[in-house]
Parts: sequence; C-alpha cells; structure tokens
Amino acid sequence: MSEASRRRPSRRASTTQLAGLSLAQRRREARVALAFVAPAAIGFIVFYLVPSLRALWFSFTNQNLVGSGRFVGGRNYAKLVADPLFWNSLVVTVEYVAINIGVQTVLAIAVAVLLQRLTRSVVIRGLVLLPYLVANVVVALVWFWMLDYSTGFVNVLLEAVGVDKVAFFGNEVTAIPTIALINVWRYLGYTSLLIFAGLQTIPKDYYEAAAIDGASEWRMFTSVTMPLLRPVLALVLVITVVGSFQIFDTVAVTTKGGPVNATRVIYYYIYQQAFERFDLGYASALAAVLVVLLSALAYLQLKLMRSNSSDLA
Amino acid sequence: MGWAEEATSRPRRRGPNWGRVAGWTVLSLILLITLFPFYWMLRTALSTNNAMYLDPSNPLPVQFSWGGFRRVFGLASPAEAAAEGGTTGSIHFWLYLRNSVIVSTTITIGQVLFSAMAAYAFARLRWRGRDVVFFIFLTALTIPPIFVQLPNFILIRDLGLLNSLAGIILPSFFMTPFAIFFMRQFFLGISREVEEAAMLDGAGHVRTFFGIIVPMSVSPILTLSVLTYITSWGDYFWPLLVGRADNARVLTVALGIFQSQTPQTGPDWAGLMAGTIVSAVPVLLIFLLFGRRLVDNLGYSGVK
Amino acid sequence: MRHTPFWRRVGSGVVLATVAGMMLAGCSSTGTTASSAASPGTSQAPGAGTEISYWLWDTNQQPAYQQCAADFEKESGVKVKIEQYGWNDYWQNLTTGFASATAPDVFTDHLSYFPQFVSQGQLLNIADKVSADNVDLAQYQDGLADLWVGQDGGRYGLPKDFDTVAVFYNTKMVEKTGVSADELAKLTWNPTDGGTYEKLIAALTVDKNGKHGNEAGFDKKNVAVYGLALSGNGLNASGQQTWAPYALSNNWYFGDKTPWTTQWKFDDPALIQALGWYRSLQQKGFMPSVDIALSEQDPLKGYLAGKYAMVTDGSWMNSSYLGQDGVATKVAPSPIGPSGKRASVFNGLSDGIWSGSKNQDAAWKWVKYLGSSACQDVVAKSAVVFPAIKTSTEKATQAFTDKGWDVSGFTVQVTEGTTALLPIADHWSEVNDKVTAAIETYLKNGDASALKKANEEVNALFK
Repeated sequence: MSEASRRRPSRRASTTQLAGLSLAQRRREARVALAFVAPAAIGFIVFYLVPSLRALWFSFTNQNLVGSGRFVGGRNYAKLVADPLFWNSLVVTVEYVAINIGVQTVLAIAVAVLLQRLTRSVVIRGLVLLPYLVANVVVALVWFWMLDYSTGFVNVLLEAVGVDKVAFFGNEVTAIPTIALINVWRYLGYTSLLIFAGLQTIPKDYYEAAAIDGASEWRMFTSVTMPLLRPVLALVLVITVVGSFQIFDTVAVTTKGGPVNATRVIYYYIYQQAFERFDLGYASALAAVLVVLLSALAYLQLKLMRSNSSDLA
Repeated sequence: MGWAEEATSRPRRRGPNWGRVAGWTVLSLILLITLFPFYWMLRTALSTNNAMYLDPSNPLPVQFSWGGFRRVFGLASPAEAAAEGGTTGSIHFWLYLRNSVIVSTTITIGQVLFSAMAAYAFARLRWRGRDVVFFIFLTALTIPPIFVQLPNFILIRDLGLLNSLAGIILPSFFMTPFAIFFMRQFFLGISREVEEAAMLDGAGHVRTFFGIIVPMSVSPILTLSVLTYITSWGDYFWPLLVGRADNARVLTVALGIFQSQTPQTGPDWAGLMAGTIVSAVPVLLIFLLFGRRLVDNLGYSGVK
Repeated sequence: MRHTPFWRRVGSGVVLATVAGMMLAGCSSTGTTASSAASPGTSQAPGAGTEISYWLWDTNQQPAYQQCAADFEKESGVKVKIEQYGWNDYWQNLTTGFASATAPDVFTDHLSYFPQFVSQGQLLNIADKVSADNVDLAQYQDGLADLWVGQDGGRYGLPKDFDTVAVFYNTKMVEKTGVSADELAKLTWNPTDGGTYEKLIAALTVDKNGKHGNEAGFDKKNVAVYGLALSGNGLNASGQQTWAPYALSNNWYFGDKTPWTTQWKFDDPALIQALGWYRSLQQKGFMPSVDIALSEQDPLKGYLAGKYAMVTDGSWMNSSYLGQDGVATKVAPSPIGPSGKRASVFNGLSDGIWSGSKNQDAAWKWVKYLGSSACQDVVAKSAVVFPAIKTSTEKATQAFTDKGWDVSGFTVQVTEGTTALLPIADHWSEVNDKVTAAIETYLKNGDASALKKANEEVNALFK
C-alpha cells in the first residue's frame, strides 16, 4: 500500500509540489514544462482565449452582428437581470440538465458495470456507443419522426397497447423531458465508455478481498466500486454537466424554443439573440454569464468530489 | 465470472444465477432501446419515399428499394431519384468522405499529441502556477462554442483559409480542454517510481515521456484518439461555417445540405438515412478495430 | 539536456505526419469559388467571365432558375453560380455571410426578413439603377413592387413571385359528404357557429368508431380523421397558413398601416373572436390541439396518411400536395367571412443585391433579368409558383392547368382583391416570438390576457 500512497499527488502536494527540488532542478522542469505546454497554449490562446476576451468586450458594447458597436457599459447586464426570458431559460436549462444527467449517469454506471461483469465483447461495447456516431441533427430528426403524434412509431405502439398517444414535443410538461431523454439515448454509450475505462483501473484485489469477506454484489458495488470510481466519475460529471448545459441542436431541429418558451434553453436563447436579432452585445453578455456559472459549477464539482485524490492513495 | 466465484471455491448457489439474469435483462433492454432507432433508420433507408408517406408506421421497409443508398453514392440519375421522391441534388460522396478522413485524422494526431504533452506537464512536472494555469485551461470547457466560433471564423477568413481543410482543422489541432483533462487524470495515476527509475538511468524528461510514459499509456491515448476522431468526424457547425465550397466540404455538412434539398413531398428521408448510416460506418469500424486494445489494456499500470 | 537520436526520430516523425496532413489539406484547397471572400475580384464592370453567386431555398424552383442562368450567361457572359439551402439553413447561412462579409452577390429575399436587412444596411439600394434602366414597375402585379421600398424611400429588390393561401382537400372524403366543388367555393364562416365551413369540417371528421363529427355519439377524444389540419409551423404571428384567413375576413388587420407597421392590433376583439372560433374547433375535436400540431413536423405527412381531410396551406406547396399520387387532392378557396369577402395573406419574394457585393454591376444585370419576363416566363412554365409579372402569372396558371391542377383557389384571391399583406415591420423577429407564444397560450387555455400583454410588449418596441 505504500506505493499506492505515492501515486496520486495529494492536495498538499500541489502547494508544496516544488518542495524537495533544487533550484537547478526547478528551472529545468519549468523549461521542459514550457516546451510541453507550448503547442497547447498556442491553441488555447489563439482559438479560445482571444475570442473569449473579444466576446467579453462585446458584452459591454452594443455590437451588432454585421456592423459596429459602441461601448455602453453594463447596460446589457442590467437588461439581462430584468429579462424574464433569461431567467426562464435558466430554469428550463437546469430542468433539462437535472433530468438528462440524472438519468444518464445512473444508466451509464449500470451499463459500465454490466459490461464489465457480464461480457468482454467489444462488439456489444461498440453497439452501445453507436448513437454517439450519428450526427446531432440527424438524431433529432429521427426521434422527431419516431415520436411524431400521428405517424410516429412510438405513438402507434402506444395506441396498439391501448394507451393514449402523447404529444411529446407539443406539451409543455413533456417537451423538456423528451429532449432530455433523447440526449440520454445519444450520450449513454459515450459516458459509459468513459466510466468503463475507469472501472478497469480498480484492482481486482479489492473485489476478491471483499468476496472473501462475504460481501454481496451490491455491497461490493457500494463499498468498493463507487468510492474508487470517484476521480473518473468526477471527470465524467464535469464533462457531461458542462456539455449538457450547452444543449442546442435538438431544440433547434424540433421545438425551436416552444411550446410557449418551455424549451427555450439558454444556448438557444443566446443563438437567437445573435443570429435573429443581430444583437451580438446582448448575446455576449448572456454567454459571459453562462461561462461564469459553468466555471463555478465545474469548480464546485471538482472540489466536492475531491477528484485530485483517490481513495486508493 | 463474478469475483465471488473466482476468488473462492465455495459451491455455487443452487438454481439459476438471478443476478446474471437480471443483469442481462437490463442490458438487453438498454441495447434494444439503443439500437431500435438504427433499425428504423435502416428500414427507412431501404424504403421508397413516396410509398412511405402513405404507410408511415410500417415496421418493415415500405416498397423496398436501394434508391436511398444509390443517391448517397451519387449512382442514381436525377430521373430515377425524382421518381422515388428523392433529392435530385448531386452529392460527391467520395470527395466528402476523403475530406472527412483528412480532417479527422489530422486533428486527432495533433490534438492527442499536444494535449498529452500538456497534460503531462500538468500532471507530472512541477512548476510554479501549474494548477492555476490548468484550471484556466479547464474553464475553456465552459465557454459556449458559439462564443468563439464567430471570432475564429473571422480569424480564419483573415488568414485566407476559408473554404480550405486547413481552416477547418486549425482551431482543434492543438488541444481541447477535454483532451488535456482526460490525459491528466490518467497521468496522475502513474507511479512516480517509474519516472524516477528512468531519470536515474540518465534520461531527461522528454526521453522519459516519449520513451516510457507514452508506451505505458497506450490505452488512454488510444481511447482519447478514438473519441477525438469520432467527435471531429461528427462536427457540423464549424465545418459548415468554414467549409461550404465543395472541395472543403466534409460528410456531415454534405449530409445537412443533402437533407435540406427537399424534393416535392418533403425531405429525402431514404437518402438521408442511408447517408447517415454510411457516414457512421467508418468510425464504427475504427472503434471495432481498436476497441479491444482500448480497454482491455487499460489495466492498472505500473505498480502491483 | 542531450538530444538523443531517439528523441529526434520521434520528433521528426511527428513533424512529418503533421506537415503531411497540412499539405494534404492545403492541396485540396486549390481554387476558391467566387462565393468566398478570398477572391480579390474588384471588377465593377462585368466583362465576360465574371462570376456571381445566387442563393435560393426552394428546390422545386431550382431547375427553372438554372435555365434562367444558362440563358442569361449566353446573353451577357456573366456566369451565375446557384446555391440552394433549406429554409432554416438558408437564413442562418445568410446571416453568417453578412457577419463575415462572405454573403452571396444576389439572394432571394422574404418580407419577414427584409426590414431587418435594410436596417442593417445589407441590401443595396437599386432605386437609381431602376430609373436609369427604365425598369417597368407596372408590369408586376399591383402593389408588389412597392413592397420592397424601405422607410427611407430606397428600393431594395425587384419582385419575383407571390403566394396566397387556400385549402387543399381530400377529394374522396369531401365527395362522401355530398358537397360539390361549386359549393366549396362558396363556403362561409363566422365566429358564432362557423357557418357552412364548420358544417363541412364536422362532416369530414371521423372518430375511431366511424362516427362523423356531425352525428350523435361522436367521441371527440378518439378522433381518427380530423376535418381540418393545424400546422405547428404556421402557428406564428402572421398565421399565414393557419388562423389568418379567418381573422382577416373578420374585418381585422395586423396593425395600423402597412407596409411598415408601428402599432399592432393583436389584442383586437375581432382577432380574439376569430381565434376563439378557431379554438372551438379544437375543443369540438374537429381540429388537432396545439400540443399535437407542435409534435408534428408538418401536416403533409398526416394528410398523406389519411389523418386530415383538409389542410390550409400556401401556393408554394402546390407541387407537394398536387404532385403526389397517393391521395387525390384539389384546391378550394378560403371561406367567406363576416366581412362579406374571403381573405388570404399576400406574400411576395424578391431578389436583392448584397450591399457588400464586389460585382454590383453584374449583380444588377442578373436581378434585372430575374425581374424580366424572359426569366419569369421560364419559371411560369415550370408550374411551381406564381411569378410577379402579370403576363407571367397568366402563363403559370395555364401551366398548372396543363398539368391538370386547378389552382383557381389561389388566384381568385388576387382577382377578387381579397388579399392582405404579410406584415412588414422592423423588429419582426421579436414581434413574432412574443406573439407566437401568446397565440399558443391562448389556443391552449383560452386566456386572452396573454394576447393583450404581448400586444403591449410589441407596441413598446416601436416607441
């Protein structure tokens, strides 16, 4: 176990990581680090940082999509706070994320565990991943068609079973859950693959020891699998939550924000402001708020799950 | 085999293993829901558009025809296409396929390499401000793509790279936050002893990285490569912005345009579904090829 | 740090792969098209070999315009590259094109988007060119040319075609009700009892047990065939193919004046009456609910599957409804309302020149050609839409008749003068969003206050 304790740097180490190095060593590591980070840093600065700063600047102007703009201070932000559609979009998006991530994570863990326990088949893993290989827009179209009220297969099936047909996209109550579940379908394989990879890093010793102690499957899952899965789960949750907040394609193809704003998610609202109202300033302000929110969320998630350390250490 | 059975020599429980039955039932159900839309896509791809509208919920192909696939590959004449209610637009399938391959391959090579290098610096090298910089890189995850896509588009335009594959490749070529995050998590799990052993032998950091760490990390690297390939293959909005002209069009954009070329009675469903299936096949093949190596080798690396 | 040969090998291998990739990418980008901004063309005088780009969204019309382009090239030497994008992509790509200065030289313009483009300065003012070249504006259907005049008096496009709305119906189903084609042309409606129009709809509606909407025991919760379809796409602030034909024939118009409306009347009792009647159809089970309409892509599929007996839709859908073989379909005009007349929204398209075009003279030549009978006759013969020039419209009607399609249900609105303009106003995108939500709310729960509130909000945009 002593080796394991040195494997993951504890949080202590992040502040004292430099301890124990001579000045020459520090310099050398810094030089190497610079070389290693340089290409990625170029990409980051040129294609992420600069455009983001530029967009941040826009949020303080009344920049038009096709023209120019003047500095207007915090006017866009004041407008944002007073905008009922903005708050609506936050509520709608949070509802979407809750359903989407909730269902997707539980199912993904289940699938990953099942894949590990029941079969080594790569083919089945590939099949589970298949929905991810289809373009977003096509996924939306296919499901729109299958869930169509009068001619969609799902409703025909429901009718045959004797249940009332459901207007999936047209009813305010079912619209967001429908879109959430469509995206669960899409990303389940991807998420479970990531978790599956994480499951592989848990040494078999632990399971064997637990089995010898007489633990049941479920007990082993809760006491061995879940705790040791934490770093990978943290990674997966941060990625999926942040991605989930940015839902756009499905809405753009199916409901376009309706019915009565029930699916007007934040990203779609931003898109409308930029591309339909040509109001790049306001769109940038909305996006800036979204960035801050998501960064805070990501930071919180990482802290809460103490993802830098693992119980293996 | 469950761990219980492997670890001990206790006699098996009498009767069928209900746990496994339940497990397979759940997995089968999930597989069914996962795969049914694909069956629907296949069934639609093999139907004739006009006939399909009259009998839309038939679970079997309606008026079986290979027309959808033929239109996708550019093998159907406009007259044939119109007769089946298909789009009469032309689609240079092999050109777009080639473009997609070039774009995805180049992006994957660059992104994985540079992200892995940066991830190693964040995970293993020690330097001041390391974790702060890492978190800044991480926040790039939270930036809505639309925020950066327009300025990037203008940059690409000013560089004169519009309607070129290079323009499509450039922004993703160096890194994505996900790639760095992903590799860092795996590098964090490698024991320091391995590196220390290499350094004692006189190898520098660079030699250690390329010579020792990378070979040890084949599985996460392969996983990241496959994921990156698939993601860049399916990217739609950015290639649409930058690569509208024929020579720079990738498969997803071509499919989108194909879909919007609505003939008389509505979108060319058969053609669109055929196109979707065809464009998913290459990536599926890649996954199947590398899949086994991907995860089987993702074992507990280094120390035991 | 020693550079070992190993390192060099790895490094150079990587570099080679990357360079190879970029070279491959570079090789494939030879030759940019005229539609990319990379082309340095600054020619103002269109010599032979100039190439301009032209965008449209309707595939049905594309062959006709390809023909026009071929004829035009023979005549002027200017090559026209036509690009087609589906409706949604079209406007998004156009907007992106404006933002990045890579928009097409000429493009098809629509009344709902035109005010926005004018206020953003993206359309070229062709008033001078029109008068200099003596373009005969009287050749177009009345009122069409002036639709494209901005609030500043500038002219921003030449009329291309127009469309109206009528009722496509399933001939077999309607025959069974005993109503003749002549009677169909004289149907009336009113907000109180729906008139003969509602009687027909009721007769056409059939529940799962085979009972018709006008029979006792009709089960409105289990409808198999709806008498009248409802288009989810059409539930917007113009109601063009849904509620507008009724509201407009109830002595109501969208706003105070047109074009360039600044005061809206979405809270007007006449509108609420008409919408109330529309809603009653849903409550009686004769028309699908808003939930159902929004859960469908368009009523065409349901119509072809036999779930709808009648669909109100625009003349741009002629090919889709009349050109298919599955369901025998004919066209009837919209019913006559309390105003004593029938009504339909009158929409027109134009061809406009992008203000940032580098080939303005060539673009103008093309627009002039498009607006002339040389091209509009070609479009007329293809029997897809109604071209704007009066003589071409006649030719188109003849072409439709030659195909066996009776489209008088559409043209009667023009000949009787019962059309009303699609709203032309600034901020239309926002007006549309707000009013659409209000109309959806009203149809779902009958709460007229939503419309009042929306009307206040949209009026506030114009203060």
